[in-house]
Amino acid sequence: MAQAQVPVTVLTGYLGAGKTTLLNRILSEQHGKKYAVIVNEFGELGIDNDLVVNADEEVFEMNNGCICCTVRGDLIRIIEGLMKRKDKFDGILLETTGLADPGPVAQTFFTDDEVKARTRLDAIVTVVDAKHFLGQLEQGDEAEEQVAFADVILLNKTDLVSADELAKVEDRIRAINRYARIFKTEKSQIGLDAILDKGAFDLKRILEFEPDFLHHGHDHDHEEAVKSLSFSADRPVDPDKFQKWMGALLQLRGPDIFRSKGILAIDGAPRRYVYQGVHMMMDSDWGSPWKDGEKRSSKLVFIGRNLDGENLQRGFEDCLK
Amino acid sequence: MKLDLANPAWRQTLPPARSIAADAPAAASAFSRDGATVAFALGDGSVRLLPADIAAAAPDAAPPLHGGAVLALVGDPAGDGFISGGDDGRLLRIGADGTATELANHKGKWVEHLAAHRSTGAVAAAVGKTAIVVKAGEVREFGPHPSTVADLDFSKDGSRIACAHYGGVTVWSIGQPVTLPPRRFAWRGSHVALRWSTDGKFIATGTQENDIHVWRMAQATDMRMQGYPAKVKSLSWTADARFLYTSAQPVFTAWSFSGKGPEGKPPFQFGEEGAGLLAVVAAHPAAEFVAGGYDSGELQLGDIKTRRSVALKMADGSAITCLAWSPDGFRLAVGNERGDLLVIDLRR
Repeated sequence: MAQAQVPVTVLTGYLGAGKTTLLNRILSEQHGKKYAVIVNEFGELGIDNDLVVNADEEVFEMNNGCICCTVRGDLIRIIEGLMKRKDKFDGILLETTGLADPGPVAQTFFTDDEVKARTRLDAIVTVVDAKHFLGQLEQGDEAEEQVAFADVILLNKTDLVSADELAKVEDRIRAINRYARIFKTEKSQIGLDAILDKGAFDLKRILEFEPDFLHHGHDHDHEEAVKSLSFSADRPVDPDKFQKWMGALLQLRGPDIFRSKGILAIDGAPRRYVYQGVHMMMDSDWGSPWKDGEKRSSKLVFIGRNLDGENLQRGFEDCLK
Repeated sequence: MKLDLANPAWRQTLPPARSIAADAPAAASAFSRDGATVAFALGDGSVRLLPADIAAAAPDAAPPLHGGAVLALVGDPAGDGFISGGDDGRLLRIGADGTATELANHKGKWVEHLAAHRSTGAVAAAVGKTAIVVKAGEVREFGPHPSTVADLDFSKDGSRIACAHYGGVTVWSIGQPVTLPPRRFAWRGSHVALRWSTDGKFIATGTQENDIHVWRMAQATDMRMQGYPAKVKSLSWTADARFLYTSAQPVFTAWSFSGKGPEGKPPFQFGEEGAGLLAVVAAHPAAEFVAGGYDSGELQLGDIKTRRSVALKMADGSAITCLAWSPDGFRLAVGNERGDLLVIDLRR
């Protein structure tokens, strides 16, 4: 039976950043919509909703020879179970623990056929604590990776820092993830249209992100930090060469590449070719047609660790006609 | 009286059935031990009881017993009613008259999988990472396992239970006054379905990676069968343990466990290719028949002896979610995602 896929919004962020406040804010607004809420087992506050499911965050390695392919086993089970209920809902809100890696959550939506058939990953929303973010970066990879994966970032608790401090935090976020939308908030106050139904993982809507692609990637800093790189080209792309290059790149560097996106002008094709990936998992499709006389250019974005900009640039250029 | 698929009546008309629209997804179906009552677990929290006789008057729908969805249901091995588990964390015993008593309550967890053992009267339930066994009013816990228990089953004699989880299968002896260390059968990855063979010699699982894994209990050796296009979530051993039926194929697919076993040999595949893939398979309780429900809503009855199959229901776009045989093997209780409940009478 063809049924609408239920959108899933993932709420991530370091301990105490304001995820639960945001969650309760979403639920208490008069939007006339019903949400199923999946919270982690360490959830601090009570959630005011009819349908709350406790998740154990069971991260499973897929036994398919792909080293970084991990999924959330509990999520597969819970989504399947929710579909057995008579009461349907308009969306699923998934809160992760403060120390969770968003990778397995995102990969679950690329990997499991039943999850793919019934739900779609709408966006990853990361709540950042403006006061403590820089300190959290020193404590491990989690805070950095949560920002790297984000489609939308709530730079929260702005009332607790000075303008200078806030600018510093924002710069640091931009250095990691240049493409996420940033909203500055106090007490997680935000309009719901800013975070819900964004279609950030919808290949058809990747085009809407085009303005973000304007930066041209050149990297001269040699820090081993997470950063974003983008590349563009005006010559058409050879599809075979590109497939080969991207396949090998993700196979080899997948664990370090958190997100990748692209819009390609394939040689001789009337439509844009769009793709996006999470680690080694990739999804692609034909997008909207090129208009007559429109400049056909291709753009790629990578967000990851230890990215070698010159190497990527050369690899991409080798795929051009 | 026997089922005879060569009878031309099978090809001309569908068998008589009672059909009820319940308007809530059916998660499981079961017949009572005495065969008089059939029950369906529904997504509105209710358990719908119907007489197995399709001509008898059907009682009205009963109010919900569980808060949320009923996720699992088996015939009560110690009575003529049923045992149900729900996403409200409760395990209920339901009499043939519909009255319910609570056997266990684990708020915040889901009771998603149940197994019943006929001769000992024991019921096993998966509750998060733990398995509980209810027998003669006593509740015992086994676990925790490395992950949520994804399925479980009794051994032939009812002295042990096997639990599927991430990383393999754990077998517990449940008859001892003290809990003995379990036996673990390891295989990488997540195991999502489990059935112990009807002769007790093999444990089969379906995995997250679209294959099936079978352990031979005596030697603790194992085998892996690959090539399915989807996860195998339904496994069913024939009554004589000669064949293991598996879902996730467009035709009936049986691995032969007689003689040297299935290693190095293809499975038996037979019958008419159905619409979509088999979602649920259920071997007949006594003879060499098998019922299979497709994700398209089609339902077929197969006979491995003659390699024939006949349609019992046409595809209608709502995936079959549950299938149960009556103890005498002449009726089938079938439910789908949309909540259509069918009791089919196969005597013709």
